[in-house]
Amino acid sequence: MKIDLAIIGQGAVSPAGVGVDALFHGKPVPVDVATLGQPEKAWPVLRVDQKDPAFNRWQREPRLRRASPITFFLVEAAEQTLTGLSPAERAETGLIVAFSAGCLAYSRRFFEGVLKQGQHTASPALFPETVFNSPVSHVAAVLGLNGAAYALVGDESAWVGALQTASVWLQMKRVKQVVVLGVEEFDPVVLDAYRSVRWLRRQNSTQGFLTSEGAAGVLVSQGVPEKPRIITARDGWIYRTRGQVACAADKLLNETDPKLPIYPTAQRNWLGPVEQATTLKRSLIATDDQPYLGEAFTASAAWNTLRALGRLSPERPRLLIPVWGLNHQLAFLQLGNGNS
Amino acid sequence: MHVVVTGIGAVTPLGENFPASWEALTAGKEAHAPLELFDTSGCRCHHAASAKLPPLPGFSAKALRRLSRASRLAIPAAREALASAGLLDSEGRSLLRELPVSVSTTSGGMGFGEDFVRRVLARKRSHLYSQVARYLPQQQVLDIQQALQFSGHSVIIANACASGANSIGHAAELIATGTADCVLAGGFEAITELVFVGFDCLQATTTDRCRPFDLRRSGLLIGEAAAFLVLESEEHAQRRGATPLCRVTGYGLTTDFFHLTQPKPDGGALVQVMRAAAEQAGIAPAHIGYINAHGTATPTTDGVEAQAYRTFLGDALGSTRVSSTKGAIGHTLGAAGSVEALFAIEALRTGKLPPQLNLQEPIPDIAAALVGANEVAAGMQHVMSVNLGFGGSNAALLFSRSASA
Repeated sequence: MKIDLAIIGQGAVSPAGVGVDALFHGKPVPVDVATLGQPEKAWPVLRVDQKDPAFNRWQREPRLRRASPITFFLVEAAEQTLTGLSPAERAETGLIVAFSAGCLAYSRRFFEGVLKQGQHTASPALFPETVFNSPVSHVAAVLGLNGAAYALVGDESAWVGALQTASVWLQMKRVKQVVVLGVEEFDPVVLDAYRSVRWLRRQNSTQGFLTSEGAAGVLVSQGVPEKPRIITARDGWIYRTRGQVACAADKLLNETDPKLPIYPTAQRNWLGPVEQATTLKRSLIATDDQPYLGEAFTASAAWNTLRALGRLSPERPRLLIPVWGLNHQLAFLQLGNGNS
Repeated sequence: MHVVVTGIGAVTPLGENFPASWEALTAGKEAHAPLELFDTSGCRCHHAASAKLPPLPGFSAKALRRLSRASRLAIPAAREALASAGLLDSEGRSLLRELPVSVSTTSGGMGFGEDFVRRVLARKRSHLYSQVARYLPQQQVLDIQQALQFSGHSVIIANACASGANSIGHAAELIATGTADCVLAGGFEAITELVFVGFDCLQATTTDRCRPFDLRRSGLLIGEAAAFLVLESEEHAQRRGATPLCRVTGYGLTTDFFHLTQPKPDGGALVQVMRAAAEQAGIAPAHIGYINAHGTATPTTDGVEAQAYRTFLGDALGSTRVSSTKGAIGHTLGAAGSVEALFAIEALRTGKLPPQLNLQEPIPDIAAALVGANEVAAGMQHVMSVNLGFGGSNAALLFSRSASA
């Protein structure tokens, strides 16, 4: 799908720090966290530093007094993308957020409370915050984004779907610009989940990923030819088994321009070997100088997009980013310099 | 928008397919019954509108065990929609190998997620893999894609209880912008303990009958369902000789910032969303024959909604007929907007109107508009379906009679 979105703002929150620069230069340090089911077992996890002063202003917002970490990641990243936009411009701005697990921390706490203390003790304060679009609503309200708002769900490829949706809104003239974000929050229950599907990295191993959290996004618009852009966004190469994924990856690569360099993104997750095998004959952009940020699904897809944008140059005016969805579908983005 | 609906399918608490559901709905039946899916002894409310799972021919017992309850509802509804559009081959496969999907849900396969947490807390290590692998909403989409053997672009919208309308509106916009020429759109939701207890602890569920727009209303009835539509460009439908059921002519969406779980008391955002849909269709509110209202029967929201219809319809209130079908099938959350859109479309096609059930003392603001038993409104040209949800999500869809219907 040709979308041609001009990127007019960027924002990020990650274990490497608050801000887009941290994606390139930060030094995230894993911390050990115990699993829910086996408290004696701990796994390294990359966490966002929630004591970062950048979050102070949001913690004072009355609307956010009960909000879970995912909302704080989201509102900070969104605000960064909106830098310089007037209140009137914000009122004509849409918001699309791509989630994977969504409001996991409060959902787990709510249901664990139901199981341990009984249904009659369920928390009416927590439940509304478990809903996927609650953080979206908070962010739109706090930042004055009066345009349309969607919460989208999926694996990493939901980030691509969110960009495609932004393009549709702009074509329909629903809004003047759209903030598109990917976000994920950590909860110990994911260690039990990812461990059961063998996604986690064991000590002294290079296989498997470190669980991570954070948010990132872009403010996109039409026109503005001098700005870097997302030229193409495609998804829909679905798979269920390991056998199907290699075939899906081949089909995806076959639809891309073989001359374009590829920004690799599988980042030690279980699709890493598939990425290596399918891109053997393609020109890969080195990413070794960038910090490893772990796996945070749609947030990872957004981080990768911002980092790949940083690799555009006059010598490299276009590039491809494969978006390896970990449990549904594969997708890709083609990025380009302004006036490219 | 030159977008037509060419196929519909649904599994609801009133029936295993759309015709059975519609027949029961217009006959005034309701699905209120004791909830047997899990223990509710710690809740205030013990009733719900559960659906009977339709058989899934071609699935082995093992394959069925791997499907979430949400998929058990979604696959037959999607299959029925494709069949009704003439897009299913004799083997039950989609004739379109590439078919974009725009779907909605609020909790996906949450039942598997709940079982996973139960097992983890109990330190049971078996069967964890299958529960994790199949609980996220994209897994139900993958179940549909694999069962009906198609692939392509997919988007899953989780805008709480407005999502089902959003999924249809988004599909229409994919077609209107030329991004796609045929889209499978709809929503699904299975009853799960987390969500049931959540609404119960908010005291949003009723221990009485579900009485939308009644002064004695005391809360909603949780339901479950799946509903799908095939949307196409008019050109695409013509090329393959499909007969449109109706046109999608308007889609409005707004976010109400007033409160996370309550609409602004003046209903302003809801009025705005209905006006946006009508303006896109280029029609006046008075031209709308029937509105399928959100009408959850919660004390706050129904009052605001009634006021919003009064403001939006003005002098047309009374000639435009209104009902909430949640009195019959309960609140099906992420599926609500899709199921209710189907009911509105069928009202447009047949002239039969879904009655407002369990009405004793109607809210005065809307009393004149509420549909009575066995009402018929032949010759309607336009109908609307309206939904709102947590987070202030509002959506309105406008459907219009197709010249060739």
